[in-house]
Amino acid sequence: MIDIISLLKENNQVSDFRVKWLLTDSYEAFYVHKKVEALRAVTAEECSVTVYVDHEKGKGESSFSLYDSTTVEQAKRKIELSVERAKMICNNPYQIPAGDTAFYEVESNMNKYEMNDLCDKIASAVFKANTFEHGSLNAVEVFVTKRKENIVNSKGINKTQITYSAMVEAIPTWTEGGESVELYENYRFTHFDEAEVIKEIEGKMVEVRDRRIAKKPTVPMSCPVVIGGNEISSLLDELCSQLNYASVYSHANVHSVGDKLQENPVGDKLTVTMKGEIEGSPFSSKFDDDGLTLIDKTIVEDGVVKGYFGSNRFGQYLGEKEITGNLYCMSLNLGNATKASLNGKQYVELISLSGLQVDLYNDYIGGEVRLAYLYNENGEATPITGISISGSLKEALNGIILSNKKTVKGAYEGPDFAILSGLTVI
Amino acid sequence: MFSSYLNGIRGKAKELVNELSKSFKYVSLLATDNTGVAYMADRRNSVVREGAGECGFVLKLHNGKAFYEYSFSDISKSVKELCEQVLTKIQSTQGQNEAQIECDIPSDEPLVKSFIRESDFDKFSDSEILQFCKDVRDSLLAMDEKMLNVTVIVQPYTVSKLFISKNRELDQHYGWANAFAVVTYRDGKIVRAREGSNGYILADIMKELPTKTEKLYKKAVNLSKAKPIEPGFYDVITDSSITGLIAHEAFGHGVEMDQFVKDRALAKEYVGKYVASPITNMHDGAGATLSAASYFFDDDGVLAHDTLIIKDGVLVAGISDLVSATRLGTNPTGNGRRESYKRKAYARMTNTFFAPGKDKLEDMIASVKHGYMLFETNNGMEDPKNWQIQCTAEYGIEIIDGKLTDNYVSPVVMSGYVPDLLKSISMISNDFEVIGSGSCGKGYKEWVRVADGGPALKVKVKLA
Repeated sequence: MIDIISLLKENNQVSDFRVKWLLTDSYEAFYVHKKVEALRAVTAEECSVTVYVDHEKGKGESSFSLYDSTTVEQAKRKIELSVERAKMICNNPYQIPAGDTAFYEVESNMNKYEMNDLCDKIASAVFKANTFEHGSLNAVEVFVTKRKENIVNSKGINKTQITYSAMVEAIPTWTEGGESVELYENYRFTHFDEAEVIKEIEGKMVEVRDRRIAKKPTVPMSCPVVIGGNEISSLLDELCSQLNYASVYSHANVHSVGDKLQENPVGDKLTVTMKGEIEGSPFSSKFDDDGLTLIDKTIVEDGVVKGYFGSNRFGQYLGEKEITGNLYCMSLNLGNATKASLNGKQYVELISLSGLQVDLYNDYIGGEVRLAYLYNENGEATPITGISISGSLKEALNGIILSNKKTVKGAYEGPDFAILSGLTVI
Repeated sequence: MFSSYLNGIRGKAKELVNELSKSFKYVSLLATDNTGVAYMADRRNSVVREGAGECGFVLKLHNGKAFYEYSFSDISKSVKELCEQVLTKIQSTQGQNEAQIECDIPSDEPLVKSFIRESDFDKFSDSEILQFCKDVRDSLLAMDEKMLNVTVIVQPYTVSKLFISKNRELDQHYGWANAFAVVTYRDGKIVRAREGSNGYILADIMKELPTKTEKLYKKAVNLSKAKPIEPGFYDVITDSSITGLIAHEAFGHGVEMDQFVKDRALAKEYVGKYVASPITNMHDGAGATLSAASYFFDDDGVLAHDTLIIKDGVLVAGISDLVSATRLGTNPTGNGRRESYKRKAYARMTNTFFAPGKDKLEDMIASVKHGYMLFETNNGMEDPKNWQIQCTAEYGIEIIDGKLTDNYVSPVVMSGYVPDLLKSISMISNDFEVIGSGSCGKGYKEWVRVADGGPALKVKVKLA
């Protein structure tokens, strides 16, 4: 790629600039019934350039992409066009972040392997997990990715970060008695541990076995509903995204500092911390798109909104003293509950959903359930399917009970399950 | 106009394909040069910047057994160096080699053709489009002081793609634009409502979107009074958007034929059988209508089709990419699509819709004693193996004694067993609309632009 920094410095109408490079190297394997259908590799460099122009009506910015194919003359024209576009934008003034040089390589054992070899080892572990006569993995996709991000701006920031991650998309399937059912598995990790991969997939094989024998309940139920880490993550995402500086600045937030997320809590009070890094999460980062070093921030404490988080520009607009940077990871406090605390009660534990729908604006939580276990008062579990859950989000939050055991799922760390009450199961 | 850059590398692309053809039984190269601009104005911000664009390459190779792909962004090296790079990067382990499928070599029927659908995006300056956003924003803000925010977005983009294989040389250029107005309104509770307009002629979009502002405002007011729905089974009338969502989730994903290869689709066993009410006909195809997912050839170099999926209630065909069609021994249907040059091609939907029927919408509503009319797609999920679906509508309006009331419910999640839902279709309206502004993932990734729609349907379904 051409030397864009020099070209940006040459243009005297550019007040400031930011350049982001992303180099992606990946190796990918696509299996159908344990056989390799396709193997892929990616070597891609992408570059995004943001031009800032301070003018008499305010501050403007505009971005463009730079490709390997972009010539010096084309880049000059793109800079000029971005300057003109930035002049049309009359945003309130703010300063882009100043900083220094830093280099991070996020700890992982994945850099010790050749990418194709690691991909092969992960796939082998996935298939090793299926020891069931009627079980199969009809489709498995393995992605091993190395990303190198570099952010440079005109105020001295020059930060680089190298991360490694893997993703497995697998379709555990159970075929027995002329009937076949499947579940969907999306598993991400940053450290390869064969035993962990096997354990994860094995668990899914058991679940899909149970889905085959799962029955649709004959009558609607109203009983406690247990959700897992992925669903808690969806719930937190809806609650927390509105507390981003940009949402607050544009009046899109439902709650403000001091508001109660849990109006009448009768269960556990929620404490949520937005974080830059969570061990084991592929969403961890040392800095955000502005190159701003990320600062963890507790935004909800004991069910009450305590603060906001977000990017440099909107943080300045809100007058935040310590701007957190755009944080993607969410950490929820643990509670005291164990599954034993549900002994003697009828409850439904959700295992696989099409997706949890959480709507803060309409006070709604619900979703279609592909597999759940219905526990009776004696603790006996019956697999059930074909049900939907729905109810009031406020009511669910007021009664939420959190487990005492931590899990990491995607960008979420916190209780491995939560108990919700007041939902209709139909 | 087709990308001058892609024209510039056309010769080298052919050389690369020819050179790699010495080592592989099938070689194709897809080169992309896509550009987009995003214009946005809300109460406190405005934006003009490049939007969704990319410039890169992906090679598809077949070694006589299985497929390889290599995605890359830099084609400036010599052909010899590029070939070495490809072979190094896609190198497979012994275990991977031993586990490879044995699949026929894809057909490579000779064809040389250029396709162009010109848009009018160049006729508008950046300042004109930004001012349009501001004008629509201001007209909405002026309607009610309870408007907390209004966001107006216009996103034109253009696509240039070049496909080269030993026997084929195709190029295409086209544009599309989506425009939205989203209001955040507070009257007791905060709600969001949106209206959109899309097409390949920006002048039409800029004419149409402002005509929807009054409707958007009224919708926001009504949504602020919306209540949760009482869960249960109801007679339901769907608007075009929800009809399209049903088509997409119920049978669109279910007939993506890479799922047939993986034994992931129950539909494979139902070809030739009734899967829906006999008055039902359903299509998919980039050539089936003109919308956001309309192109001339797919990312495998296969020309766009109009595939009739359900004919008079009987499942007749699926949609395929090159790999799944080759594996199944069928003709590819032009549905091989990639999220970007960096991603794999899969069998994907394009424009998916139910064909219109003979009923009048007012008769359909009048036939409902108690139920709901559902409007506007929020999202949906498919389950092609087990035929469960979940479709979320932004809102519903209660129907009592054959008349639409002022009782709004929101959100509304419709779920159930696909054949139950499709066989419950009892009336189909004689109007028709395909809405071209959505995007669709496969699993939870691989996002591509899709359009879907159709007439209004009368169904019986579970709402929660």
